This record gives sequence, structure tokens and C-alpha cells, in this order.
Amino acid sequence: MKTLAMVCALLFVAAQSWAQKEVQLPKDLPSYGPERPLSAPSVKIAKLDNGLTVWLVSEPGFPKVSFSFAVRGGLAADPSDRPGLSQLLGNTIDQGTKTLNAEQIAQQLQAAGGDLSANPGKDSILLSISVLSARQNDALTVLSDLTRNAIFPDAEVILAKRNAADQLRQQESQPSFVAGRAMAKILFGDHPYHVTSATQGSISASTPDDLRKIYAERFRPDQALLVAVGDFESDKMLDAVKSRFGEWKSPSTSPVSDPGAPSVTPQHAIYVIPRPGSVQTTLELGAFGPLRNAEDYEAARVATAIYGGTFGSRLVRNIREDKGYTYSPFAVMRNYQAAGMLISQADVRNAVTAPSLNEILYELNRMVTTSPTTDELDTAKRFLVGIEAIQLQARSAVSDELARLWVSGLQPDAIGTYGRKVAAITSQDVDTAAKKYFPAAKTAIVAVGEEKVVRDALAPFGLPLNTAP
Amino acid sequence: MKKLSNGLTVVVSEDHSAPTFGICVSYGIGFRLEPEGRTGFAHLFEHLMFEGTPNAPKGVLDRVIEGGGGTNNGDTRYDYTEYIETAPISALDPVLWIEADRMKTLDFSTKNLDNQRSVVEEEVRVNVINQPFGLFFAIDLPGKAYNTYPNAHNFYGDFNDLDAAKIEDVKAFYEKYYTPGNAVIAIVGDVNPDDIYSKVEKYFATIPPRPTPPKPKAEEPVQKTERRSSESDKLSKVPGLAIGYRMPPRHSSDALAGAVVGELLHNGQASRLYQALVKGKQVALSVDGGVNWPLGTPFEFAGPTLMTSFIVYPPNVSEDQVLGAYDAALKDLAENGPSQQDLDRIVTKMRSDIYGNLEIPINRASALSHAVLFDDSFDSVYQLPEELSKVTVAQVKAFAAKYLVSTNRTIINRVPAPAGEKEKGAGQ
Repeated sequence: MKTLAMVCALLFVAAQSWAQKEVQLPKDLPSYGPERPLSAPSVKIAKLDNGLTVWLVSEPGFPKVSFSFAVRGGLAADPSDRPGLSQLLGNTIDQGTKTLNAEQIAQQLQAAGGDLSANPGKDSILLSISVLSARQNDALTVLSDLTRNAIFPDAEVILAKRNAADQLRQQESQPSFVAGRAMAKILFGDHPYHVTSATQGSISASTPDDLRKIYAERFRPDQALLVAVGDFESDKMLDAVKSRFGEWKSPSTSPVSDPGAPSVTPQHAIYVIPRPGSVQTTLELGAFGPLRNAEDYEAARVATAIYGGTFGSRLVRNIREDKGYTYSPFAVMRNYQAAGMLISQADVRNAVTAPSLNEILYELNRMVTTSPTTDELDTAKRFLVGIEAIQLQARSAVSDELARLWVSGLQPDAIGTYGRKVAAITSQDVDTAAKKYFPAAKTAIVAVGEEKVVRDALAPFGLPLNTAP
Repeated sequence: MKKLSNGLTVVVSEDHSAPTFGICVSYGIGFRLEPEGRTGFAHLFEHLMFEGTPNAPKGVLDRVIEGGGGTNNGDTRYDYTEYIETAPISALDPVLWIEADRMKTLDFSTKNLDNQRSVVEEEVRVNVINQPFGLFFAIDLPGKAYNTYPNAHNFYGDFNDLDAAKIEDVKAFYEKYYTPGNAVIAIVGDVNPDDIYSKVEKYFATIPPRPTPPKPKAEEPVQKTERRSSESDKLSKVPGLAIGYRMPPRHSSDALAGAVVGELLHNGQASRLYQALVKGKQVALSVDGGVNWPLGTPFEFAGPTLMTSFIVYPPNVSEDQVLGAYDAALKDLAENGPSQQDLDRIVTKMRSDIYGNLEIPINRASALSHAVLFDDSFDSVYQLPEELSKVTVAQVKAFAAKYLVSTNRTIINRVPAPAGEKEKGAGQ
């Protein structure tokens, strides 16, 4: 009873004063120095006769080169009776080509100084590798072999399926995994974006031929991009690319089709995922956000930073720095080609499940009702511009970011224009974006935890308490 | 590199590839030195370094660094605690001011202590108690492998100890360990060394010197027999095995060969353990590990450390099957050594990994500051790629034969709890 009474009281109490107080800067703190313009990477753009797009960034200095190779078509393009097949493809694309076995591939990449990472996204499959520049041509040779000649040997696929089945069981013991999987189903319904992972059924049903089929459909030069960033001369690198990819031909079949925009309006409800023995409740709130190329994308990014994207943001100051409910609350925008999401997440101890959700809903709505202060706005804008330069310090990060832009249908100059657009955002822009994307009533709420704890704690909110899909 | 009159050491490295900088302030205080009855205190204290000072109350630090376009963080490890920031160069002066300010004094507030105690306990819940495997390979394995408190205790902290921490403990800890003479500040980026030295002089030189604290007593009695135990896991669906071998000191002539052995066994899909356990015998789902893993590189420690292997394996495979395949892989390395080609390949990979790390200013600052903290010199950071190239096949073979023996190891097998037992965890 005591718990319930406390919950009801808290439901209508505003956040405590400290978290909303404007930070006063010390008198003798030196001011920021003059800005030095952050130069966007200079990208040489080329297209081979077979349609392969090539983006090259020559950056002498450290003796490293990073390659990113993207093809259109990811989880959203998988056959509907094989959800998550792209993940199995990512796990097995480096397990054999016409001339090399899995161990030889791993050894050749290691001899170049790199590890291959294969990331299947919703809209693409991205292969990345960073190597010593002295071995860049060796790495490029292996990369072209993987993208053109992978054979998905039966024995390797059988092993990968067995391990994927156990790994999925293990992932299901992690609350963030099950929360994210449920959120995608709630937000996207039947739209292909609802798939975040393979299922035991799809793993078991998948065959080497399934993999060979989607590989043949998607790995084609006219639907692919190769990015190289690092210590090389662009002309020489382009020659090296041509000699390894130039003879590659696209099939006459039609490429992967655009998944189209999702049409679901998520119910503002709480979806419970029981996790026996859990000492925390994982709260995830999800709503739709802007597309990456939308007019209000940058305004929504600024709003997200003010709301929950930094240590000094409203949500973090409130439920971490003021109340100590959680260690790592955060808000983030996720973007796919045909949809954007705004996600809030916090792992909170069982006893504060209700007050934590109350504060998250409150801070979402406060974005809608209360314009940012000048200080909040300036801080968020400077943060987003600065952090982009920081994140692009590594060649591998530049390479992968360029590949992600290409998947979103953008050009390399999007890196430079993003900063300029952010710097121009006004308080009114933030308000408009916040009104559109941040109302708490637009969110679906997933709660993973001890079932009785979660249901008892969240019943007073008066929202439908559903079992998660 | 320069030393101020109060004992603070400054290291600068220029990198003009972007108008940004990374800074790392490392203090010579880590898990090994936290007092008995106060497990987890070094890390709890680290959180309090972000909670403000009399000059710059709580909230100012994040506002200054994030408003300057940067990010900040802290890490507590066995032999150091580091505070790191990275930002566009325009934020350099305010960031230096902030670091100097919290080297002078803190806001010793009980309210902030209580708040961060809650935050740290949530951190332990999210990373340990509520997490399958609960980092047992990092927390429980040293607990079994070592005999003395500095090396064996739970560094994340027992909740009773965290709850017992008082503001007086915070003050005493700060007084003793957070002294300029016990700190190294490294700055990497679009800077000019002379300019940095004068700025650091300006902001830090007025901090009075204090006695330099003692180094930890971290000697361990020699291990004579294999140590084995098992644990039950209420959350994991698959079993895991953690194996730790005691390593020689970082300055011993064997140490570099040890680092190479750790990577030969664990680094990527070409590694011996991946090939033997995941591919060859097919008795494991994944293999991770290395020397001083997972809380540091094989080159950054100043006391006893382990070569740890963390193996996740399928429920239908037995512990003995995994260990059998593991022992065969180690025996092969000890008896036959690597081929010269195998060795060249892993050294190339290690050099590539090192350059990939040093490329990022904040990471280079971190590496430089740790090296100076441990050795009063950063030469090792830049010499490492060359030194690794000198390791021979014979050294690798000899290292494996000498150190990778069962009497030098500790094993914990962690298995999913039976279904009925899992329900008991409810409502903790």
C-alpha cells in the first residue's frame, strides 16, 4: 500500500528544483576560444562502368586505411518466411570463397592488420575493415573476393546456424535485446522494419541455398558502394579498385525494392515483458521520429540532445543526477531509410519503476510545453557540431559514416551541411519538432522486469497494460 | 614532457589532422589501494569527481564540456583512475580550468555522495547483478586467482561497503591520492607544446604540493596448484568458462612475449582458440580474452595480472570437452610454437590495432598518461610497435611452456541455474 500511495503522489509532482535550475558558470572560468572551422572530409567520387559507386578520402598521416563496403537490402529485404536471414549472411559471408576457406580468409585479413566486421542493418549490409596502409591492396583483394565470390559452404552454414541458435537464446536473457525486439514489433506492425533479429524458427529453416540466393540478388555493383579512407593517393586507389571490381557485372534481375513508409499508429500503452529474477526494470519508450533527409531532422536532433542526449540533458539531470534512479538513462534517434525513431531508455531498480516512468513521461511532455532556455539551446547545438568532429577523428568512423549516408540516399557533403544546419536551428524550430515528435502520448512503453513488480508499479498510470508482442 | 614545481607532470603530443583535442588526467590510485571494508570506493570516488567543487558547483562540468562541443568520462582500473575529455580546440582553456579546479578541492557534500552511491549501485545492477554472466570473468576470477586483498577483492564493491562509505572517507581519499604529484596530464591534438605548457602552468601551478602517496603492496604468494570452482547463473541461458593464468610483471623480459601469446590465442577469427574451439572441435560459441583483459591492454598494468580466456559454450557440451580442446591448443603452442608466418601475422595485427588506438587523440592521451604514471616516460608507447617486431618464435614457445601450465591457473565454470532456482531471485 505504501508503494502505491507513493506512486500516486509522484505521478503529479513536477521534477525537483535542482534538475531544472539553470547552471551558473563560475566568474573566473575562461571563455571558449575562437572557433576553428571543422573541415568535412574531402571526398573524391567515382562511378565504375558497372555502376559501382566509389568514394575515396585521401588522409595521409597515420599508416592506416579503412574500407567500408555497403549493398542495398538488409533485414527489411529478407524473405518473410526467413526473418533475420541477413544476420546469418553476415556471419557466413567470410566463411569461404571459390578459392579461399574460412581460416585462410581470417589469416589473410589478420596479415593485413584487420578484422572484418559484417553489419546487417534494416536497409543494407555493411562490411568494414581497417588495415595497415602497407597492406591495403591485400585487404582490398580479400574484400572483393568476399563481395563477389562467397560460396556459403554447407558445413560452415550448419555450424553458424547452430551457434546462432544458442546466441539468440543468450541474447534473449538481456533485457535491452527483448525490449528493442518488442518495440520494433509495436511500432512497425507488419512492416518489414519490425524484424530486429532472426527467430529460432528462421534459423532452423535457413539453408545455404537461401543465403546464396539473397547474396546473388543483393551483391551487385550497381547497388553497392565502396568507401576507402586513409593513407593513399586517390588515383592509385581508384586503379586498385578498378582492377578488383571493374569486371564485376550486375544481374538483370531487379534490385531490392524500397520498403515504403510504415503506416502504424502505435497505441500509447504499456507492454510488459516478464523477466523472472530481474532486479531492475528496463523501460524503453519509442515513437516515430523524422527521416534522415527530412526538413526537421536537425531540429529533432537538437531537441533530443536537450531532452536526453547528454550528461547535462533534462532527463539525465532529473533521474540520474537528482534522483539516483538509474545509471545510464539516454535518448537517441534511430534512422532507417524509410522511418525514424525516437527512443528513451533507462534501467531502474525495481522499487523506483513507477516514479522513473513518471519522470520520463514528464520530461517528454516538458519538451512539448516548455521551450528550451537560450543556454540549453546553445549547449545542445555546440555539442552536436563538436561531437560530429570528434566522432570522425578515426578513419574507420569516417568510412562507415559515409557508407551510412549513401544508404540513406545522401551525398558525402551531408557531413558538412549537417553542422551548418544544426548551427542555424532556433528555439522555435526545436518547439515545432518537439510538438511533433515528443508528446508522451505518442510513445509506446515497453517494460522488462519482474512481472508482478512491473504490473503493480505501472497499473496506476491508467494505460492499457498489454503483454508484449 | 614537463614537471611543474608541485609535482604535476604534463605530456603533449601534436596532431593537427583536426581542430580538436583529447585530454587525459590520470591519478595513481586504483582498485588495489582502496581500504579494506571499502570495496568499490575508488570507483565511487571517481563518480564524485564529477559532482562539483565550491567554485564550480554540480552541473558546471557537464555544461562547460558539452557546451564546448565535447564529451567527458572517467575510468577506474587496478592501477589508475583517469578523467578524459575530448572537444573542439576552442574548449581547451575552460576544460583545463575545470580539471585544475577539481584538483584543488571538491564539494564534499553528503547529498552528492548519497546520489552517486545510488547511481553506482544502479551501475552494478545493470552491469553485474542483472546481467547474464555478471562479469564473473573480470570480478570473480581475480577473486579466486589471488590471495591478497589488493588484487582479489570485488572492485565494483559490495553493497554493504558502498552503503558504509562516509563523506569523511571521501575527504581522506581525496587528500591522500588526488595530489598533483600523483597525477599526469596528457594533451593530444591541434595544439602547440609551448602554448600548452604555459596554459598548464597558469591553471595548475598554484595547486599546493602534497605528500606523494605510497604505491600499493601487491605481492602475491606463488600459486602452486590449479584452482577450480563453479558458479550458478540465474540469468544466462548458456554456460561460460573463465580461465586465468598469472602473468609475469610488465617489466620482466618475458612480458612482451606474453602479450603476443595472449593475442595469438585470442585476437579475432584467425586466433588459435577461435580456430580450435569454435571451428575445429566446435565446442564453443565465442572466445574472448588476452593479457590484462578485459580491463586494460597487455601493456598497461603495474601489479599482478592474468591472461584471461572467457569461453561461452553450448549447453550440450561439457566443461571437460571445452577444457580438453583448450588444453590441446595451449599444448600445441608450447610444444611446437607458432610458425614464423603465424608470428608475423599476429604482430602485424597488433601493430595495426595499436595505430588504430593512437590515431584517436583521447586514446593517445590516455596511453601516454598511463605510461608516464607507471614509468615516468612515454617512450614505450611509441617504441611498442618496433619492440613487438623483435619477439621471436622461440620466446613465444618458451613463454607458453613456462606460464600456460595448470598449476598457474584458475578456472571458474559458470552454468545456468536449474529452472526452479531462477524464480527465487524474484524481488531482490
